[in-house]
Amino acid sequence: MNKLVVDDLHLQYGDNPVLKGVSMTLSPGEVVALLGASGSGKTTLLRSVAGLESPSRGRITIGDSVLFDGAAGIDMPVEKRSLGLVFQSYALWPHRTVFENVAYGLRLRGTPSAEVDQRVTEALTNLGLRHLAERLPHQLSGGQQQRVAIARALVYNPPVVLMDEPLSNLDAKLREEARAWLRELIVKLHISALVVTHDQTEAMAMSDRILLLNSGRIEQQGTPEEMYRQPKTQFTAEFMGSNNQLPGKIAQLANGRALLEGNDGWRLWGLARGELKLGDAATGIIRLEHTLIANGAAENRLRTEVVTGMFLGDRRENLFKLGNLRLRCYGTAPANGECWLELPRDELWLFPVAPAA
Amino acid sequence: MTDRSFSLSRTAVVAITAVVIFLPIGLIFWQSFLNAPFFAPHRFGLDSYAFIFEDSDFWTAFANSIVIAAGMVAIALPMGAALAFLLTRTDLPAQRTIEVLVLIPVFVSPMVLAFGYVVAMGPVGFYSTWARSIFGDVPWNIYSLAGIAVIAGLTHVPHVYLYSSAALKSLGSDVEEAARVAGASPLRVALNVSLPMTAPALLYAAVLVFFLGFELFGLPLVLGDPEGHLVLSTYLFKLTNKLGTPSYHLMAAVAVCIVAVTFPLVLLQRWLLRSAGKYVSVKGKATRQKLLPLGGWKWMALALVALWLVFTIVVPISGITLRAFVEQWGEGIKLADVLTLDNFRGVFDSAEQMRAIWNTLLIGTVGGALAVACYTAIGLASHRQSGGISRVLDYIVLIPRAIPGILAGLAFLWIFLFVPGLKELRNSIFAVWIAYTVVWLAYGMRLISTSLLQISPDLEESARTVGASGRRVLTDVTVPLIRFGLLASWLLVFMIFEREYSTAVYLLGQGTEVIGSMLVSLWGGGAIDQVAALSLINIALVAVGLAVALRFGVRLHE
Repeated sequence: MNKLVVDDLHLQYGDNPVLKGVSMTLSPGEVVALLGASGSGKTTLLRSVAGLESPSRGRITIGDSVLFDGAAGIDMPVEKRSLGLVFQSYALWPHRTVFENVAYGLRLRGTPSAEVDQRVTEALTNLGLRHLAERLPHQLSGGQQQRVAIARALVYNPPVVLMDEPLSNLDAKLREEARAWLRELIVKLHISALVVTHDQTEAMAMSDRILLLNSGRIEQQGTPEEMYRQPKTQFTAEFMGSNNQLPGKIAQLANGRALLEGNDGWRLWGLARGELKLGDAATGIIRLEHTLIANGAAENRLRTEVVTGMFLGDRRENLFKLGNLRLRCYGTAPANGECWLELPRDELWLFPVAPAA
Repeated sequence: MTDRSFSLSRTAVVAITAVVIFLPIGLIFWQSFLNAPFFAPHRFGLDSYAFIFEDSDFWTAFANSIVIAAGMVAIALPMGAALAFLLTRTDLPAQRTIEVLVLIPVFVSPMVLAFGYVVAMGPVGFYSTWARSIFGDVPWNIYSLAGIAVIAGLTHVPHVYLYSSAALKSLGSDVEEAARVAGASPLRVALNVSLPMTAPALLYAAVLVFFLGFELFGLPLVLGDPEGHLVLSTYLFKLTNKLGTPSYHLMAAVAVCIVAVTFPLVLLQRWLLRSAGKYVSVKGKATRQKLLPLGGWKWMALALVALWLVFTIVVPISGITLRAFVEQWGEGIKLADVLTLDNFRGVFDSAEQMRAIWNTLLIGTVGGALAVACYTAIGLASHRQSGGISRVLDYIVLIPRAIPGILAGLAFLWIFLFVPGLKELRNSIFAVWIAYTVVWLAYGMRLISTSLLQISPDLEESARTVGASGRRVLTDVTVPLIRFGLLASWLLVFMIFEREYSTAVYLLGQGTEVIGSMLVSLWGGGAIDQVAALSLINIALVAVGLAVALRFGVRLHE
């Protein structure tokens, strides 16, 4: 198996640029998640790799074979790329049985029918679908349809499997189970996969590496832990988790740390992320799980007023206010009145406010 | 994207389509600028136009066409819209039955309908003699201009009904419920929400009916004859022998004048259809809507609908059925004395009439299947293609829509006479088939594209990623997925081809007889007995198609 390389890919629909120079790699046996909000270009990138979209420039290669090269005018037809694609809608052909859906790719490749039987049966067994081989797609549950779609994409051993929101069509409850199952399957079969998702939890759970896309560009890429713990930009920080946001000004700077001062006079030390200058507007971002309820005043603590609390089952979430500021945290808070919140200095990130474009 | 031979065959399909469309229409235009038929010595000029523009009959016919078309809109639009409202939004009894019956006038040949009205309500028709025996006089005259407009209007109510009920059905009930919740009474909801939101569809239906009225041929041919009322299409038909010799140049000039009106109407319809769709995408949840209770008005409304059904279906069809089984009819004749099967014996004894029946069957079944195959090939040629080819196809399939059948038949006759090597085909049923296929191209394409639109692009793209070429995707995924749609299309095209008559009029000859053109010819010769028998046979053929369609739940309209 060979490495998938996408280099400086551009694509536009009419005058509307969708991909503005995306580069990425996918090594054999690796799972990469393309994460982003709707309209970020993640599905377009996936479809460009599959050959279903026509980029305007850039290069896509797998090992020595060039799938697309804008400069050289190469655009390999979809069917010649031999990739596996799992559609968001699963796209099972309603007029073919499960067996025939899976077998089609092999038949197109002229595989002898004994081998087709054997390989399809093996793929169906791997996915726990063997007993459903003679059913038609409409006789299957959503989860079973998804497995058939995966079996269909895997059966001819494509170098890379592309998955477009593979879990989004399942019920919320089923989704978590399917996530674990899919991760296990990917590890067991050493699949190289490119997975599109808009859900950061799903991306972190399923992939070795995450590419976060923001309006046609890669905002940041890294392992799930890096993305969550060391966001380079405010966008990444906000996308990857649940946060409190504190707008303010930089009042002091000292070895990688800075002091953020709010309109209401509060002051908090945090880690400087990006270029910060004295007097600049900045935003403080802290994960909800790092915002702590404290007893009494100290450094990096804020005196807030309790607004309300919400019971979420495995924990409670509380809402506080300080002037116009709204802060949330987990834990058990006093039912009403005042409360001190601690925002630890090593957990508070300070990002420069981007000048209005 | 696709291999070369595939795109080559696509281009070939488009090219052939363009030729069979542009050749006849081009010929008409060219002929209209000659001062004599193209086979006689001729020179270019505007003589033909000058001749018809000086003919007062032309202007009378033109005015009659407009009066009849406008009258049809005035009658069909309110009635069709009211019928749609009654059937989709109220608790009118017997809705299912009415919904089926409403469509019958669409599938019965206008020639047959017209004949039905003559024998039922003409001066000595069955119902007229009955009325005279009661009132002492016949209180109607179906041969007057107003009579023709009323009959044409009432028989075109289904067209308006189809489009307005589709609009009402696609209108999400949530938007109406939202208005109710906001405090509007049912009447206010109808006036402030439902009516404005269906207005684009109603406007479309109005233009469609006007257009159909302008094209009308069978009804004015039969009903306009006794008092000499001409419309443009019958004026063209009568021109055939105006100057003793075939006056093709004059007919071509009239044809161009007709197309000059109908083509803009077709473009207008296309534009309106697009704007009519602008509310449809706002689809609410498919919750069953609470029907408006009609209360005591229920039976009143039902009686009105029944009255309309009696007039448009029962009267003409019972007239034909009765006439087919009697020797003659008139004042003071007792039914029991004149009952006979001789009319049918006459048909069975006539070689050409029997040929007409077989040819009609052949053109509906085999010809219908071939036509659907052609429409499918054209549909697939532009399927999922966003480039120039599909845009070109999109417009050229509209052109035959603007050409009334009688003109298309005339144009194809000229092609068979004019293009070397095609003379042989002129005397085969193939000539009629190709003319039918081109005339109904737009209709057929709509059936096919309705099926194609229902396929999710994912299903085809997934076949591509698994390794199927563009052509394989069509044969392995696209066509199998639309197979039921194709069968339904075949059935609908069968009925349309059984019903068609005007296209075959000029192509009528030894070997190319079909029931439709035979009826026009026999009517002209005054052979009422055979016309009645053949009409009944024609109705039976259409009825078989309709029964099969209903049995298999085929949607009878898009």
